[in-house]
Amino acid sequence: MNKTAKAYISLFKIRVAESFQYRMAAFSGVLTSLVWAFVDVVAFTAFFRYGDRAKFAGGLTLEQTISHIWVRELLLFLQPFSIDDELLLKINNGDMGLEMCRPLDLYWHWFARSSARCIVMFVMRCLICFAVGFIIPGGYGARSPVSPGAFWLFVPSACCAFWLSSAYGMLVTAVRANIAWGDGPMYFMLLIGQVLSGGYLPLQLWPNFLQPFLLLQPFAGLTDIPARLYIGSMPLSEAWLGMGVQLFWSAAFILLGKRILSCRLRTIAAQGG
Amino acid sequence: MGECRLYFRFLRMHLLSGLEYKGWWLMILQVLLTCVLDPLGTILMFARFGSIGPWSMERILLIYAMAVTSFGLAESFCRGFDYFPMKMIRTGDFDRLLLRPRSLFTQAAASFFHIHRLSRPAAGAAMILWCLRRQGIPLTPAHIAMLIMALAGGFGVYAGVLVMTSGIAFFTVKALEWIVVFTNASYQVTRIPKEYMPWLLKNLFTFLVPMLAVSYYPATVICGWGESAWLGWLALPAGGAFLGAAVLVWRVGVRHYKSAGS
Repeated sequence: MNKTAKAYISLFKIRVAESFQYRMAAFSGVLTSLVWAFVDVVAFTAFFRYGDRAKFAGGLTLEQTISHIWVRELLLFLQPFSIDDELLLKINNGDMGLEMCRPLDLYWHWFARSSARCIVMFVMRCLICFAVGFIIPGGYGARSPVSPGAFWLFVPSACCAFWLSSAYGMLVTAVRANIAWGDGPMYFMLLIGQVLSGGYLPLQLWPNFLQPFLLLQPFAGLTDIPARLYIGSMPLSEAWLGMGVQLFWSAAFILLGKRILSCRLRTIAAQGG
Repeated sequence: MGECRLYFRFLRMHLLSGLEYKGWWLMILQVLLTCVLDPLGTILMFARFGSIGPWSMERILLIYAMAVTSFGLAESFCRGFDYFPMKMIRTGDFDRLLLRPRSLFTQAAASFFHIHRLSRPAAGAAMILWCLRRQGIPLTPAHIAMLIMALAGGFGVYAGVLVMTSGIAFFTVKALEWIVVFTNASYQVTRIPKEYMPWLLKNLFTFLVPMLAVSYYPATVICGWGESAWLGWLALPAGGAFLGAAVLVWRVGVRHYKSAGS
């Protein structure tokens, strides 16, 4: 292993150790996730049980939808809610100039940093929330994957989702590095990612005519594709397609992100003193 | 009176400095899009599943819109309290407010203002009007009075949540995420028809944080869904009482303030 790789790994470790210190914050996050999931589960149950057209609705079953909600909470750390707050600060106050002095590739350095943050959120919030979901009774709780095969395809697909999420986060960070535009474009990109990831509503409950588009667009890979494998609404024989979509878009985001960042660095304007 | 002038001078200053950024209109667009897309899940579910008994999409969205508009108003005009834990306590900037011979409450409330936050109440108000129209309910003076009162009460409730958060922030700044339960997550609860709402959620949002008192009950009075009318008129007193309680928490917090900055 060469020195550069070691540097990235230790950056990753520092960030993880740093973020693990806030245990109360994690508890608070778990509570929020649980309430959010619970409200969604109750709302969907009302639709499935009492909706006038519930019998002919198609899409997913109630059990699948509830499982989807809990898987969404498990993969919440992949949702593009924000970019790394420390990187944002560095961009805003001019410390970005300092970052450029390091003998590391800025893109991969930041990539390691921001994906470390996600890992912490996964362990301290998502995993705990999902575990609590399992003990909720009355059909409202989380369920195990439909089959062992589904589980063993869900895991690699979730890893692809992690890669995709980090790549997209870096693309947004690279765009945000253009300070003069403020926060607008960044939030715009984050929002589109959140909606199309299936976090608002499982993509298979969207209108039927949109389905081919929804599967192939980049953000399905963040939550919906792993969740489909988990709840069994995507045949296991089609898993290669799902993961192919995820990897394709990851590669596209990385290439684009690197390009935008390097263009940006050529005419960098450091803010602050 | 002087405090009021100060508040609006602050707002004007923040407004003008915000307009210096090239992308400021993008933010308005972005928040507007967020607000339009937020009920998207509900709308698509109604499209697929149809109404839930008497609960049509227009009814549910009306209750939702009243809560969202209230939240938007509070978030726009008490933005300072929204940012308070991170940008005032954590950095120690609150010290500076203490040095000025003006009301702390006004200064804190006006310490931030972002024009794009107004998109939420604007979108919410448009949705209220659309829902009323779709249900064929005319805007009589009595209905307008009820709406304004409900929104004023709602402003009190959500401003109260933000002020209370700021009060708690004097003791801890890191573990405040649960407050989302009473802000952005709270109006998601309005998507559930009242009969099917679990006991816990219903009581939590009626008696602890009176969110349903400023959304569901006024809406039922305007549209006549058979709850008794005086419950709707409770919106303003409930909102006022909650804000009052929040101010007390804030005062306790201020008294315990120990500077944090360097």
